[in-house]
Amino acid sequence: MALAMLAGAAQSQSPWHGARDGVEVKATALTRPAVLAFYQARGFSAEAVAPYADACVFSFEVRNAGKSALRMNLADWRAAGRQGGARFTLPDEWDANWAGRGVPQAARIAFRWAQFQAEQEFAPGDWIMGMTALERRIAGPFRLTLRFSDKNRQHEIAIDNITCASLD
Amino acid sequence: MTPVAGTPAAPSLALSDVDGKTVDLAAHRGRLVLVNFWATWCPPCRREFPSLGRVQKLFRPSDLAVLAVNVGEDAETIFSFTGATDVTILLDRDSAAMQRWPVKGLPTTFIVDRQGRLALRAVGGRDFDGPAIVAQMRALLKNT
Repeated sequence: MALAMLAGAAQSQSPWHGARDGVEVKATALTRPAVLAFYQARGFSAEAVAPYADACVFSFEVRNAGKSALRMNLADWRAAGRQGGARFTLPDEWDANWAGRGVPQAARIAFRWAQFQAEQEFAPGDWIMGMTALERRIAGPFRLTLRFSDKNRQHEIAIDNITCASLD
Repeated sequence: MTPVAGTPAAPSLALSDVDGKTVDLAAHRGRLVLVNFWATWCPPCRREFPSLGRVQKLFRPSDLAVLAVNVGEDAETIFSFTGATDVTILLDRDSAAMQRWPVKGLPTTFIVDRQGRLALRAVGGRDFDGPAIVAQMRALLKNT
């Protein structure tokens, strides 16, 4: 099941968009059934992928529409709501989880490359899609702050009123 | 596509195609090679895949080879998406080959020049038979 079909059929609300300083971002909240279906098709059992499917999962599409090369570190992105904040769990952390659960290698490979990678370098015109999940679910709307840098300085894109998709 | 800083030598790439025959990038020295890393579950990979066949037809075989390196999937899964195709598809089942290349996500595509160096890179989907990329490739053929 392609990521686009996943996002289109299973999102519980329209995607959110943000743009600043040459970077364009589209964030789509993914429901539990959609995440389960995608990863079971990649070789995960429902039980093995449950921690990820139960998390607050997004598909991100990020595009460098500017003129400078950019760097992004997923570890610098933050979600902040009324009841606290959260970071995104990094791909290596999930992979350690999958190894401990005996997930087949083919499924782990597909998972790793379906993720928004921990570090990205974008030349002008480059763009990337990938999934990632917050370390914990946040109740209610929250602000998502996405940080990136070019050779001169740091930048931020803030997207407000984001919500986790329902688990149903 | 973006020029690769320093035009480093391309990492090794020797993999089986869908028929079990080993294809080695090193054997293509003297021509351009478009190396595309992809998977069937990746939407921009799926959208750009037809352009790999189209761009191949715009060049003589002695000038350009196209190698589509599938990451982590088996031949049956690949065939269910591609059907019969003229594009050479290589199977990187354990992703070991891809991890030797400067790849941070799928799809990522490189143009390897006649001397076996990484000349151009694109992260994210492209139409490889679009005029801008074709012009870049023709310039590489002319100047290297």
